[in-house]
Amino acid sequence: MLVRCPSCRSTFSTERTGPQDCPACGKPLVVPDSPGVVPAGVQSSLQSTAQPQAEQGTPWERRAELGTWRAYRDTVVQALFEPARLFGSARLDRGPAQLGFALLTVSAASIVAQLVDYFFLRNWTQMFLRRLGGSGPMASYWQKLAEAARETSPRSAVLWALLTPLVVLVALYLNAAVTHLATALLGQAKRGFAATFAACAYACAPLLLLAIPGCGSPVGVVWTVVLTGVGLQQTHRIPGRTAAAAVLAPYALICCATCALGVLGGMAALRGSP
Amino acid sequence: MHALGLAAAGLAVLLSAAVLPLDAPPLSLFPCPFRAATLLPCLSCGCTHAFAAAVRLHPIDALRSNPLGAFAAAAFAVHIVWTALRLCGLGWVPAPLPVTPRVRIGAAALLGLNWAFLVLRGGP
Repeated sequence: MLVRCPSCRSTFSTERTGPQDCPACGKPLVVPDSPGVVPAGVQSSLQSTAQPQAEQGTPWERRAELGTWRAYRDTVVQALFEPARLFGSARLDRGPAQLGFALLTVSAASIVAQLVDYFFLRNWTQMFLRRLGGSGPMASYWQKLAEAARETSPRSAVLWALLTPLVVLVALYLNAAVTHLATALLGQAKRGFAATFAACAYACAPLLLLAIPGCGSPVGVVWTVVLTGVGLQQTHRIPGRTAAAAVLAPYALICCATCALGVLGGMAALRGSP
Repeated sequence: MHALGLAAAGLAVLLSAAVLPLDAPPLSLFPCPFRAATLLPCLSCGCTHAFAAAVRLHPIDALRSNPLGAFAAAAFAVHIVWTALRLCGLGWVPAPLPVTPRVRIGAAALLGLNWAFLVLRGGP
C-alpha cells in the first residue's frame, strides 16, 4: 500500500501496517489497517507522546503568522543563543523557507562586507596584502590577490555583489552535500538530506557578522561550524560527538574549506589592519 | 525542491568551470594551503582542473587531475539532466542507495585511494 509520511510528506510503499519508520525522513509513524494512501496529518501516537513540542516550525517558518521582521529577528536570536530549540523545531518540509533564510542572511551581510571593503578599506587591504605577499609559502597567492584587488573596478565590485546570492546558493548546497556525505559515511544520516540542509541553513545565522570588519568573519565562520554541529545533532537526533565529527571531517579533509577559512581569516586581518 | 537546488548549484559550478579561465582570478586565487604547508596534496587538490577538463569532454585529463573531482563533475551532470527530465514530467525515481556499513567502508576506502593517487601522482 501507499503511505504518505505526515512529517516529510513523501509517499512510500509498504507491505505492512502498524508502527514503522518513514524511509525518507526516518520519523516514526503508524500505518492504519485500511488500504490506500494514508492522508497527511495522521501523526503517530509514538511521535506525539515522545516529542510533544518538536517541529512546530521555527519562527521563520511561521513568518506568515508572526510577521516577516519579527520572525527573522526571533530566528536569528534563537540560532545564536538557543540553537537546540531552533533546530529542534525546524520542519523538514520547509526547505524553501530555510533556503530563503540562509540566502537573505549571508547575501545581505556579504554584500555589505564587500562594498565596505571596496569603498572604505581598499587602501588598507592593498597595504596588508603587499605585506603578506612579501614572504612565506603563500606569498605568491597574496601577490595574486593584491593584484586582483587592485584591478577590480567599481563596476566589477557591484557585479560581484549582485552575483553574491548565486554564490551563496552554490556554497550552501555544496556545504550541505559535503556535510551530508560525511554524516552518511559515519552512519548518522538518519533523517535524510532535508535534515542536514535545515541544519546548514539555520547555522548561517552567525554569518551576519561578516558585515563587521575585522573579527566579524572568523568569529562568524567558527560560530557557524559549531551551530552546524548542534543543528545536525537536533535534526538527525544523533549524539553530539557524532555530529561534531560529521561537521569537522569535511573541514579536516577537504582543502576548499580550509582555503575558504584562510581567505576569510586573511580578509578579516586585512580589514582590521591599520 | 532540494533536488532542484542541487541541480542549480551543480549547473553553476559546471558553467563556471566551462567559462572561467584556470590561470586568472577568481579560480587562480584558490591555492591549497595544505599543500603549501605540507607539500602533500589534499583530498580535493586538482578538482578545479578535473571539473574544467570534464566540461570540455576530456575525461582522461579529468581523471588524471582528480578522480574524485571527475566523478563529482559527472554526478553533477547526471543529476542536472535527471532533474530536467523530472521537470519535463519523468516520473521514475531511482531507489535510494542503502548506506550499509559495507557501503560506508567502501566509500572511505575510495576516498583514501583517491588521496593516495594524488600523492603518488605529485605535481599540481
